[in-house]
Amino acid sequence: MGDMIKGNIAIAEAAVRAGIKLYAGYPITPSTEIMEYLSKRLPEVGASFVQAESELAGINMVMGAAACGVRALTASSGPGISLKQEGISCISDEELACVVINVVRYGNGLGTLYSAQCDYHRETRGGGNGDYRCIVLCPGSIQEAVDLMATAYELAEKYRIVTVMMTEGALGQMMEPCELPDFIEPKKHPWGFDGKYTYKKIGIFDRNSMDEAVELNKKHEAIKAEEQRWEEEGLEDADYVFVAFGLPGRSVQGAVKELRAEGHKVGFIRPITTWPFPEKAFENVNKDVKGLISVEANATGQLIDDVALTIKKVIKDRNVPTFCLPCVYGIPSMKFTKEGLHKIISGEIKEAY
Amino acid sequence: MAKARKVPAIIDNPMSFCPGCGHGIVIRLIAECLEELEQDQNLIFALGVGCSSLLGGGLVTDRLHCPHGRASAVATGMKRVQPENTIVAYQGDGDAYSIGIAETINAAYRNENFTMVAINNTNYGMTGGQMSWTTMPGQVTTTSPLGRDCEITGNPLKFPELVASQFDVAFAARGAVTSPKNINKLKKYIKNGLEAQINGEGYSVIEVLSPCPTNWKLSPLNSMKRIEEELIPYYPLGVFKERKEN
Amino acid sequence: MREIVYAGFGGQGVLTSGLVMSQVAIFKGQNATWIPSYGSAMRGGTANCTVKYGKDTIYNPAQEDPDLLLAMNGPSFEMFYPMVKSGGIILVNSDMVDCDVNVRDDVKVYKLACSTLAQEIKQPRGANIIAAAAIIKLAGDFSMEDGIQGMNDMFRKKGKEKFEAANMKAFECGFNAV
Ligand SMILES: Cc1ncc(C[n+]2csc(CCOP(=O)(O)OP(=O)(O)O)c2C)c(N)n1
Ligand code: SF4
Ligand SMILES: [Mg+2]
Repeated sequence: MGDMIKGNIAIAEAAVRAGIKLYAGYPITPSTEIMEYLSKRLPEVGASFVQAESELAGINMVMGAAACGVRALTASSGPGISLKQEGISCISDEELACVVINVVRYGNGLGTLYSAQCDYHRETRGGGNGDYRCIVLCPGSIQEAVDLMATAYELAEKYRIVTVMMTEGALGQMMEPCELPDFIEPKKHPWGFDGKYTYKKIGIFDRNSMDEAVELNKKHEAIKAEEQRWEEEGLEDADYVFVAFGLPGRSVQGAVKELRAEGHKVGFIRPITTWPFPEKAFENVNKDVKGLISVEANATGQLIDDVALTIKKVIKDRNVPTFCLPCVYGIPSMKFTKEGLHKIISGEIKEAY
Repeated sequence: MAKARKVPAIIDNPMSFCPGCGHGIVIRLIAECLEELEQDQNLIFALGVGCSSLLGGGLVTDRLHCPHGRASAVATGMKRVQPENTIVAYQGDGDAYSIGIAETINAAYRNENFTMVAINNTNYGMTGGQMSWTTMPGQVTTTSPLGRDCEITGNPLKFPELVASQFDVAFAARGAVTSPKNINKLKKYIKNGLEAQINGEGYSVIEVLSPCPTNWKLSPLNSMKRIEEELIPYYPLGVFKERKEN
Repeated sequence: MREIVYAGFGGQGVLTSGLVMSQVAIFKGQNATWIPSYGSAMRGGTANCTVKYGKDTIYNPAQEDPDLLLAMNGPSFEMFYPMVKSGGIILVNSDMVDCDVNVRDDVKVYKLACSTLAQEIKQPRGANIIAAAAIIKLAGDFSMEDGIQGMNDMFRKKGKEKFEAANMKAFECGFNAV
């Protein structure tokens, strides 16, 4: 077993081992340790670190590096990720590959420093102007985050898309044992700039948006077919199925275990990709299920929308009620989830859809 | 050299600039310099948004459309991961000095090793001639219909002078495309800027006073006259930061 | 699974006290998580962390039902004593906590003059290790030897082995004081 290591540090080291050649970013709690660590570490491995003047500049530096076909990274939180949307939209438009880490903090505008999942809608719907998606990975532990780092780049490069690693403030700040992956030396992509105009397709100058739309939909369909990731348990006979990701997902797993031991027929789906949403998991849900319950760290309920839409696709002959347990911020305690179920059964909490 | 007479190899397709526009001349000069310095097969452009992005259709070279104002940040990322390539940020005055002033000035502040060519036509050409930070006092634009009032909009910005006096950059100059003499001087400035980059001396900026007959509502000839009579007295031509070894 | 809250003001080293506990658990092949309060919660001078450890998977790393509380100062005691599980244990640093600590009859409260002890053994900066060791003893899951080995392993990996003798002295002192 590995030693205790802080989430942000482990993720940063995993990025180094995934072979990143450039990090550019701007400090913001609770993501800052990532850039602090890389400011020392990247020069040691012959890669570039730039403290950018803003998140805006940071993502654009990443775009420049990505256009050259190398692995580049930026990380931020809250308002910093808002500033990056311009660049993420452009990187998506040019079909370049990069990874953006969002160590989510709670709140609108300047927000707060609480750990949360309030950026769910923004991250899973693209985020900037236009009509695109990013692959969104939501680790539930430091080990999973580290293991997903190389995957994040592989997916970004395979589909030429932006991968968002959506962690949470608490995951960045906590420590747990973790095994770090081996170093990889990624190949420079043939489509990266080499100064010789070898590859002619970067830089969309003569647009045919109709043809591009067909290609974009094909790409999205391929990602939805191939890249759904999740963890599930107890779905076959479940009266109620919980859906939660990240640290809340992990806490819900514990609550489900306890509820099962107490005789409740409950199960869980923990999405690891929230885009593509793990629709396939829902096919395994008991057809007589009484309800689905999202547990999420935000105020208004966001994940619940995908849960409701997806169960509608799978169980078509009736409306399966879906319920939302938003804990606003932090990690919902197992007690919170268990009490939530009792309130749902007693009718105290009404269905959302 | 006969080489400079023919159209440089990296200029392929016609670009759709208006008649009498200065962009075309500057691009031609950049391409000639790159060819003469044997950098034309070793080259990436970071293109600003504006009429400068029309360049994208005309060049056969690695080039990226950057978000409006961010070309100097994109160029930073490119140069950091591909120091062996020559990186040119090609931006308009609105792109580089208004929306992108933070990215532009911070690249100069870090003395980032690439070359920026900024086309100063004293307005936002592409969007139909709005006021920019280089619009002259009293100049009529679509957003300063009574003439620019510097009391409430600030004074025209002199970027090469600013970075030359405040930051440790490698080379800063301003040229114009009004006469063969000025064009020859401008070409020298561009070459110096590129050479500074090739030698790893750091940031180089060449601003060009360039006509926009369409939005100035002047003939091409009168546009050149305006630059000579009105702009050059305010925006002096010349080198503001000499390269160290020159 | 065991859950322990370590609380005090910034600079008392409670985050390290908790880290020692988690690292000892890892050293003995168990699972562990350590989660701090951070950011704005840290300003204003208080710091706390929650450590969980055990042989099974740790689902929720955040505070839920603490079995033990280390309160290194008065405000931490006031803030956290209501949360301790019935039948649980509170260790207060009696050098800093001068309020009435007999506020619950369903938990056991131990008092330890951590700073005074640290002065006595001439390790003025060792109060947090003394407290960490006392907590390990009260939790009853690991021997003194396990504790010392786990702690030494942790500091060695941080390149701080030069403090090993001092840390061991503080650890023994704390472990034997409760
Ligand atoms: C974020 C954003 N805001 C506004 C625009 C619209 N826009 C396109 S070009 C331009 C002005 C360009 O002016 P300048 O940089 O001076 O270039 P010129 O066309 O004069 O050469 C504007 C405002 C945009 N593309 N993106
Ligand atoms: S609008 Fe002005 S800058 Fe743009 S192409 Fe026409 S003349 Fe040139
Ligand atoms: Mg302009």
